[in-house]
Amino acid sequence: MKKIETSLNNLKTDIANFYKFDKQQFMVMNIVDMVEKLEIQWFFADYAHPCDITCFYTYSEPNIQIPSIASIVGGAWVAEAELVDLMGVNIENAKKGFVLEDDFEGSPLRKVK
Amino acid sequence: MATQYDIPVGAQHISLLEPLHFKLTTENEKIVDVEANVGYVHRGIEKACTSIFKFRQVSFVVGRVCGLCSISHTTAYSQVAEKLINIEIPLRAKYLRMLVIELDRIHSHLLCLSHVAENSGFEALFMQTMRDRELSMELLESVCGNRVQYDYSIVGGVARDLRPDVATDIRTKLALLKPKVDAIMDVFENNYTLSLKNKKVGFLSKEDAMKYNAVGPLARATGLAIDVRNETEDLLPWKQVGYEMITDTRGDVWARNLVRLKELYVSFKIIDNILNGLPEGAILTETKALPEGEAVVRLEAPRGELFYYAKGNKTQTLERLKIKAPTFSNIPSFVETFKGNEYGSAPAIIGSFDPCLSCTAR
Repeated sequence: MKKIETSLNNLKTDIANFYKFDKQQFMVMNIVDMVEKLEIQWFFADYAHPCDITCFYTYSEPNIQIPSIASIVGGAWVAEAELVDLMGVNIENAKKGFVLEDDFEGSPLRKVK
Repeated sequence: MATQYDIPVGAQHISLLEPLHFKLTTENEKIVDVEANVGYVHRGIEKACTSIFKFRQVSFVVGRVCGLCSISHTTAYSQVAEKLINIEIPLRAKYLRMLVIELDRIHSHLLCLSHVAENSGFEALFMQTMRDRELSMELLESVCGNRVQYDYSIVGGVARDLRPDVATDIRTKLALLKPKVDAIMDVFENNYTLSLKNKKVGFLSKEDAMKYNAVGPLARATGLAIDVRNETEDLLPWKQVGYEMITDTRGDVWARNLVRLKELYVSFKIIDNILNGLPEGAILTETKALPEGEAVVRLEAPRGELFYYAKGNKTQTLERLKIKAPTFSNIPSFVETFKGNEYGSAPAIIGSFDPCLSCTAR
């Protein structure tokens, strides 16, 4: 797995430069809760060389808005919506209540300090 | 503009096995917009796996993610845990994992096909397919000891060896099942009424499959040749046992049925090759190592690519476990596939997606 560090400011540019819908498959978005900060990851596989998995990652404070890549990657909105519910993060334009009830309070996958 | 009506399908609906809700916006019976909601039964399994259970227990927990593809979850998790503790499992265990994965694929594909038949209004074919599927369920019980939650793959290998009498039973029952699948194939391929319900219905183009990251038979039925079994040889040697890719380019419900049916024959061949070439030796590598670092694993479940990410910190409990199920990846494609179809075709289209909300809302 190849890991490429990005930043929230450069995320969209980096993904737009990397991702071609007929060349790469978007796999999933993931967040690892490190309590003080979050490691945010976006996983891609290559259609021609499927064993080549690329992971873009960056670190963020929990309450910072994360840019959405749904305008670049058509299927990314589900992964973003899931993390909004489960991790309680703020992702640009992502809808709440996709995997949990709309009025569910709390972020079940966040670790308590 | 004609009047638009919102028609809810689910969360409980006669054509749905799963608690999934689609809001179909229709205009003169034609579906023009779709909203999906999967948030009814989230069980917090990822949280439990990183807080309550030790990493060796987690393979039994993730087996409960799904009743249909339990072996895919336990195997994918076992593989990712084995990467974190850096062990190689015996070749016999790899073969046995592949054997159960393919038996599972047979029962899962037959289940999907039976529901497509039922949702297309073909009750007799539904019953025939479900009846024939019992043979594969009996085999899973013989090999694993359970019909549904097998707990077969464990960290380090598999839980039970294959007895010679069970191997004979597999050969006998698959020989019985093959002609039954031939008969089902004949109906799906040639029945005129079913073709009216399934041909050119629920079309997804290859371009859209790539754009919306479709996986599994849904993607392969559009001509998009992706299958983890074709891609990774390091964890399970699929090509050694005769794996071959099945694709179709028509992209409709009919094509998805045929891809699944043809994949049954590939599964028969793989199982046959596994039984003929099953290596001798141990079925488990034992170690007391603790998981460290991060790893990802992909595995081709019956519905498509299953993805596991795990991170360990040299303790008994994982720091993070992320599960991405194939149905979850396919939701954007589901939404796009509905558009432009008649409302009356929605049940057959849903059946052809083979959605598994148990996996999605794990």
